[in-house]
Amino acid sequence: MTRLASTTGDLARRGFHDPDTAFRHLGELPPQASDFLDLFDRAPDPDLALMGVVSVAGTPEYAALADDREAVNRLVAVLGGSIALNHHLAQRPAHLAVFADVPERHEASAILARVLADIGAADPMAVASAPDATDRLRVANKRELCRIAARDLSSGDPFAAVDDIAAELADLADAIMVGALCIARAEVADHADARFAIVGLGKCGARELNYVSDVDVLFVAEPARDDVAAEHAARVATRLAAATTRICSAHTATGTIWQVDAGLRPEGNAGPLVRSLASMRSYYEKWASNWEFQAMLKARPMAGDADLGAAFVDLVAPLVWLAGERENFIAESQAMRKRVIALIPPKEAAREIKLSSGGLRDVEFSVQLLQLVHGRSDERLRLRATLPSLDALVSNGYIGRSDGAELASAYRLQRALEHRVQLQRLRRTHLMPDDDRGMRMLARGLGFRTSEELVDAWKASTRRVQRLHQRVFYSPLLEAVARIHTDELRLSPDAARTRLRALGFHDPAAALRHIGALTQGASRAVEIQRQLMPAMLGWFADGPNPDHGLLSFRQVSESLGTTHWYLRALRDEGQMAEHLAHILSSSRYAVGLLQRAPETVQLLADDAECSVRTRDELTRSMMRAAERHESTEDAFASVRARRRKELLRLAIADLLHRCDEVAIGAGLADLAGATIDAALAIAARGDEGAPPVGVVAMGRWGGREMSHGSDADAMFVIPDSDDETAVKRATAVVARMRQLLAAPGPDPALEVDADLRPDGKFGPMVRSLSSCLAYYRSHSATWEAQALLRAGFGAGDVDTVGRLLVAADSIRYPSGGLTRTQIAEIRRLKARMETERMPRGSDPARNTKMGPGGLADVEWTVQLLQLQHGHDLPGLRTTSTLDALHAAQEAGLVTAPDAAALEAAWRLATRLRNAIMLVRARASDLIPGDAREAAAIAYLLGYEPASASLLVDEWRKAARRAGGVVGRLFWGED
Amino acid sequence: MDRQTEFVLRAMEERDVRFVRLWFTDVLGTLKSVAIAPAELEGAFAEGIGFDGSSIEGFARVFESDMVAHPDPSTFQLLPWRQQQRGTARMFCDIRLPDGSPSYSDPRYVLKRALKQASDMGFTFYTHPEIEFFLLQGAAGGDGAPLPLDKGGYFDHTTLGAGTDFRRDAIEMLEQMGISVEFSHHEGAPGQHEIDLRYADALTMADNIMTFRVVIREVAVSQGIQATFMPKPFTEYAGSGMHTHVSLFEGDNNAFYDASDEFHLSKVGRQFVAGLLRHSAEITAVTNQWVNSYKRLAGGGEAPSYVCWGRNNRSALVRVPLLKPDKPSSARVEFRSIDSAANPYLAYALMLNAGLAGIKGEYELPDEAADDVWSLSDRERRALGITQLPRNLDEAIRVMEQSELAAETLGESVFDYFLRNKRAEFADYARQVTPYEVAKMLPVV
Repeated sequence: MTRLASTTGDLARRGFHDPDTAFRHLGELPPQASDFLDLFDRAPDPDLALMGVVSVAGTPEYAALADDREAVNRLVAVLGGSIALNHHLAQRPAHLAVFADVPERHEASAILARVLADIGAADPMAVASAPDATDRLRVANKRELCRIAARDLSSGDPFAAVDDIAAELADLADAIMVGALCIARAEVADHADARFAIVGLGKCGARELNYVSDVDVLFVAEPARDDVAAEHAARVATRLAAATTRICSAHTATGTIWQVDAGLRPEGNAGPLVRSLASMRSYYEKWASNWEFQAMLKARPMAGDADLGAAFVDLVAPLVWLAGERENFIAESQAMRKRVIALIPPKEAAREIKLSSGGLRDVEFSVQLLQLVHGRSDERLRLRATLPSLDALVSNGYIGRSDGAELASAYRLQRALEHRVQLQRLRRTHLMPDDDRGMRMLARGLGFRTSEELVDAWKASTRRVQRLHQRVFYSPLLEAVARIHTDELRLSPDAARTRLRALGFHDPAAALRHIGALTQGASRAVEIQRQLMPAMLGWFADGPNPDHGLLSFRQVSESLGTTHWYLRALRDEGQMAEHLAHILSSSRYAVGLLQRAPETVQLLADDAECSVRTRDELTRSMMRAAERHESTEDAFASVRARRRKELLRLAIADLLHRCDEVAIGAGLADLAGATIDAALAIAARGDEGAPPVGVVAMGRWGGREMSHGSDADAMFVIPDSDDETAVKRATAVVARMRQLLAAPGPDPALEVDADLRPDGKFGPMVRSLSSCLAYYRSHSATWEAQALLRAGFGAGDVDTVGRLLVAADSIRYPSGGLTRTQIAEIRRLKARMETERMPRGSDPARNTKMGPGGLADVEWTVQLLQLQHGHDLPGLRTTSTLDALHAAQEAGLVTAPDAAALEAAWRLATRLRNAIMLVRARASDLIPGDAREAAAIAYLLGYEPASASLLVDEWRKAARRAGGVVGRLFWGED
Repeated sequence: MDRQTEFVLRAMEERDVRFVRLWFTDVLGTLKSVAIAPAELEGAFAEGIGFDGSSIEGFARVFESDMVAHPDPSTFQLLPWRQQQRGTARMFCDIRLPDGSPSYSDPRYVLKRALKQASDMGFTFYTHPEIEFFLLQGAAGGDGAPLPLDKGGYFDHTTLGAGTDFRRDAIEMLEQMGISVEFSHHEGAPGQHEIDLRYADALTMADNIMTFRVVIREVAVSQGIQATFMPKPFTEYAGSGMHTHVSLFEGDNNAFYDASDEFHLSKVGRQFVAGLLRHSAEITAVTNQWVNSYKRLAGGGEAPSYVCWGRNNRSALVRVPLLKPDKPSSARVEFRSIDSAANPYLAYALMLNAGLAGIKGEYELPDEAADDVWSLSDRERRALGITQLPRNLDEAIRVMEQSELAAETLGESVFDYFLRNKRAEFADYARQVTPYEVAKMLPVV
C-alpha cells in the first residue's frame, strides 16, 4: 500500500469516519508512516489514532519505533482507543518508548521498582522528599497505564485477557500506593513513631482493579516503640493517611491518579481514619454488620508495614466466615442489592454496566453470597477475586458447571466493556457511552462490527446473568438430594438446609424432602422437573408462602408426573410454570380446587384456556357432561366436576389479573346458571311429565355480581297449567336438584338459597306464574319490590321467567316512585340490618359488605334510586349495580364525583372479597385482622410487601367517601 | 445493623444503662412508655417489641391488637433526671403491624407521611415553637382553684426564686438531652413562662416537644411545684399557646425567601400561607383539641381566632415576621392558633399539608389585615373577607368531618378515632353544670 494509492474512498472503507480530514493528515506524515495504513483497520477509532500519530510523528521517540511494525500496531491501538492517553502521548512523547516493549505482564516487583525509582525512593519504606515527587508519581502512573493499555488493546482476545489486565492494574495501584506513602513520609516529620499499614479492599483488595476506579482502603496503625504513646501514634498515622490520600487524589497539571476511599472503615466516614489493631478487633467482634464482613472478604495488605497489614487480615478473616450464618443474611443482602438497583437514576439505568440488573455487581454479589454462606465450612472457597472464586464454587459443587461457565463469560464481556469505556477518557465511569462516536469506538475495539451488535451482545449477557442469578442459588439444592451421583460434586445436606433457610423457607428439612421427591429418578418426568426446579423454587421464594407452594407443587406433580402433556407444558410453555408457582404459593382456594383434580392444571398451558367462558359454552358443556351418565348420581358428579374446573378457571383468571371484578362476577353467574340448567335436567329425569321449571336469579346472582364462593339466590316458577300435580312434581324436582348440588362430595357444593321467594322461608318453594304474580300484586312488601330489582333470568324455562320479569316491572319500577312511608320503611330496614347483620365483636370499618360505605350501602343507595325513578328512566331498569349507577349519573340523579366514589368503594369491596376467598379458601366479608393474612391479600391485589396497613387505610378511605355519599343520597342527610 | 443501632448498643454498654424506655405517643398526644432491659434491646432493634394496641388510645380495637414497637436509634438519649450512673435512656418508637407494615394509628407515622409528601415535592419542613405553660404552687388555693407560682409579667426578671431557677434547671436538662433552647422569658400572666426551642425538622421537633413536656413536669415535681400545659387555666389571664414558626427548605435554600418581593416572601411562601389560612378551620380540632382550648381562642386581644394574616398584627392567625434580607435562611411564617396541649405530630402534619395544598393548588394570598381584627365590627370583617375559626370543639369537629385534607393527612383510622373521641368529649362537656352557671343563675332564677 503506498501513499499515492490511498484515496478518500479507500479511507472510508477502512473505517475512517472523516476520510477527507484523514487524507489531509496522511499528507502530513513522513512517507514511511503510511506503510502502516492497514494497522488503522483494527483501531477502535481510526480518525483519532491517525490524529495521534500525526502529533507524535515528528519526535525522535517515534522515529525510534517507526520500523517496528508490531510496536506501531500497539501505538495505533492505544492512540485510537483512548482519547486521554492520545493527548498524554502528544504531551509526553518520551512514553512512546513503552510501545517498543514486548507486550507481557510485568512482575509486581518490577513495576514497584520502576515507580520507586521514578520518585527517588530507595525502597518501599523510604522517604521520598524530592519537591516534584508527587508529579513524578502521576507521570509514572500514566506511563504504566500506556504500557498496560498497549497489551490490552492489542491482544487478540480482550475477553480472555480481562482478568490478567485487571490483576496488573491492581499491581500498579499497589506500587502507586507504596510510592504515595513514601512521599507522605516526607511531609510527616515524626512518621517513624508509628507503624502504619494500608489494607486494600474491594476490587483493589481482590486484585481485579479497573483502569479508573476508587481504590478502597482501610488504615491500621500501632505505636512504633514502647516509648510512643498510643494517641501520638494515632495522630501521626492519621496525618500519613491523609497525606497519602491527598497525593493520590489531587488534580494538578500532570493529571490525577485515582480517589482513595476509606469509607468502608469502621463507622464509615464518621469514624476515625486510623485505628489500632485492638480497636479494630473490638469493632469487628462486636459491632460490624453483615455487609461489612462482605467487604472484608477482599482485605489484603497493600502498602506500609507488611506485618501489621497481615495481622489485621488475620484478625478479620475468621470473622468474615461467621457472617454467612447470621440471621437473614441472604434476605438482607438481597434487599440491599435491590435498593441499589432502585437508586440508579432512570436516565442512566439503560446505560449502566456495573450496577444495573444483570450487571457486574450481580455476578460479584451472587459469588460473594455463596462464598459467605458456604465458606465457613469449606475453606477452598476462601478466595478474593471474582473469577477464581467462581471457579472454586463450580469445582466444589456449589454452582453447576455450565451455569458457572456462562456466568464467567458474561462477567468477562461486561468487565471488558467497563475497562474500555474507562480507557476512553480515563474517567471513573461504568456507563455505556451516550454518543455515537464513543459507541463505535467501543464496538470496534472489542471486535464487533457495529454498535448494535455490541449492544445486543451486552444485553444478552445481562439477561443471562439475570436468569443465572436465580439459578445458581437453587440448582445445587437438587444435586444435594440426588440419590444418583452425577459427575458433579454436590452440596452437602447441611449446606443445602443452610441455603434454603437463608432463602426464606421456614421448614428446610421438609423442603429438601419435597425437592428430593420431585427430582429423584431417571424418568423423563423427573428429568424435566429437575430442569424446572431451580426456577420454580425462586418463584416460590418470591411469593407469600414458599413452603406451601412447594408442597402443593409436589402434590400436583405426583398426580400428574407421568402425564405427557403436563411435562411438555411445564417444559415448553415458559409462562405456565411461573403462573403455576404463583398460584401455588398464593391461593389456598385455587390449590384446593386443583388438588381434587390435578389434571385441570392444563388450563394454564394455554392462554386461551384462562379466559372466561360464555354462558352458551358453559351450558353446552354442562349438558354434555350430564348426558354421558345414566345414573343420576354419576351425572350430578360429572356436572359438579365440570363446575369445579370452571371455578378454577375463574380463580386463575382472577389470580393472573386476566379480567376485572365485573367479568369475574358475570362469569360466576353464568356458571351458576349453566350448572343449575344441567342439574334441573338431571333432577327431572325420573319424571318425564314434570312441568318445566323457570329459575329466577335473585340477589348477587341476578345482578351478575357473584364472588368466588357465593351462594346462588333464586326462586322457582312454573307455567300455569290445569294439571293439579304440576306444582308438587316441580317441587320434587327442585328439591332433588338443590339437595344433589349441596350434598357433601369431592367437588365444591352450590347452595341454592330460595329465601327471597314470595312469603320467604314459609312460602311454597315453587309457584305457578299466576300465583306468583297474584302474590306480588296483593301482598308484597316494599322489601320484596326491592328484592325484585335484581331478579333476572337464572336457568330453566326461559319463557316463564321472562313473563314473570315483564310483569314484575310494575312492582319494582312503580309509577310515581315510592311514598314517604315506603322510603322510611326501607331506611328503617337498612338501619336494623346494620346492627343485626354486623358480626358481633368485629370492626365495622373492616367489613366490606355491611360496614359503612360497603357493598350494602352502595347497593341500597342505587336500589332506592331505581325504585324511585325506574318507571321514568328505562336506563335504571337493570339488575347490575354499576349499570344502574351509570344510568343514574347520566340522568343527573347522582353527580359524577358521587358516582365515582360509590363505584370505587363497590369495586374495591368486590376485589377484596374475592381476594379473601382466594387466600383463605373461606369466604368472609371481613378484611382479616391478622396482619400476615392481610399481607397475603394485599400481595394478590398487587401491593408491595409489608402493605397490610396501607390496604386497610385505602379501603377505609374509599368506604368513608362512599359513606358520605350514601349519607346524602340514601339517608337524606345534608 | 446500621450505624446508629451500633452506636446505641455501644453507648448503653459504655454508660452502664440499666433501663431503656421505649416511647411512643397515642392519638391524643399522651406519651406512652415501656421499659426494657438492655439485654432485650438488640432483639427490639431486630424484631421490635410486641404489645397489645387495643389498650392504647386510638391505636386499635381488640380484633387487631397485635402491634410492634420498633425503636428509632437516632432518638437515643439518656434521661438526665434519672441517676447518671446505671442510668435510664429513652428512644422514640415507630409502631408497626406484625407483617412489618407501618401502623396508621401511630401519630409519628402520620407526620412521617406528610413529610414524605413534602420531600417528594422537594421540601424539608422546619418548625420552631414558642411553648407557653404555667407554673402553679404545689397546693391549690382554699377554694380548690389553682394558684400561680408568681405575680410576674411579660419579660419580668422576677426574683421569684423558684420560677427563675426552674427555667434554668429545665433548660439545662433540655440541653443535656440535645434539645437546644433559643430563648426563654416570663410571659404576660402570673406564673406563665415561655421557652422557645431552636428550629429543627418537624419530626425531630415533635419528638422534642414530647420530651419537653416530660422535662418540664419532672423539673416541677423535683421543686415541689406543678407545671401545666392546659390551654387556659385561668379565666382572667391569657392562655398558653404554642405559636409555631414554620419554613420550607429546598436543599439549603429557604423556599419562603424572595429578595425581590415586597415582604421578601416568595411565591411558595405566599401560597403556603394561603393554604394555612384556607384550611385553618378544618384543622382546628387538632391544633386546638380540647374543650378548654376554645376558651383561649375566645379570649380577645391577641387570641388569633380570625382567619387572616399580617406582618405586625398580633391578632392575626398567621404572622409574617419582618424578614431580614441579610438572613434569607431565617424566612418563616408564624402560625398562632395552635396551643401547648396539641398532639405535635398530628398538628404539624396538618399544618404542613394545609400549606402544601396552597402550593399545589396555587392559592391566591388574600390581602394583609392591617387592623386589630378584634376591634372591627362583624360587617367590617365580612367586608374584608375575614372569617372566624370554630368557636368551640363542636364546631371544629363539624368542619373537620367534611375535610378531605384532614382525612388524607391523618389516615382513615386516626381521622375516625379522633372524631369519635372528640364528639364524646364535647357531649360529656355539654352535660356539665359549671360554677359559672351556678354563680350567675342560682341567686337570680
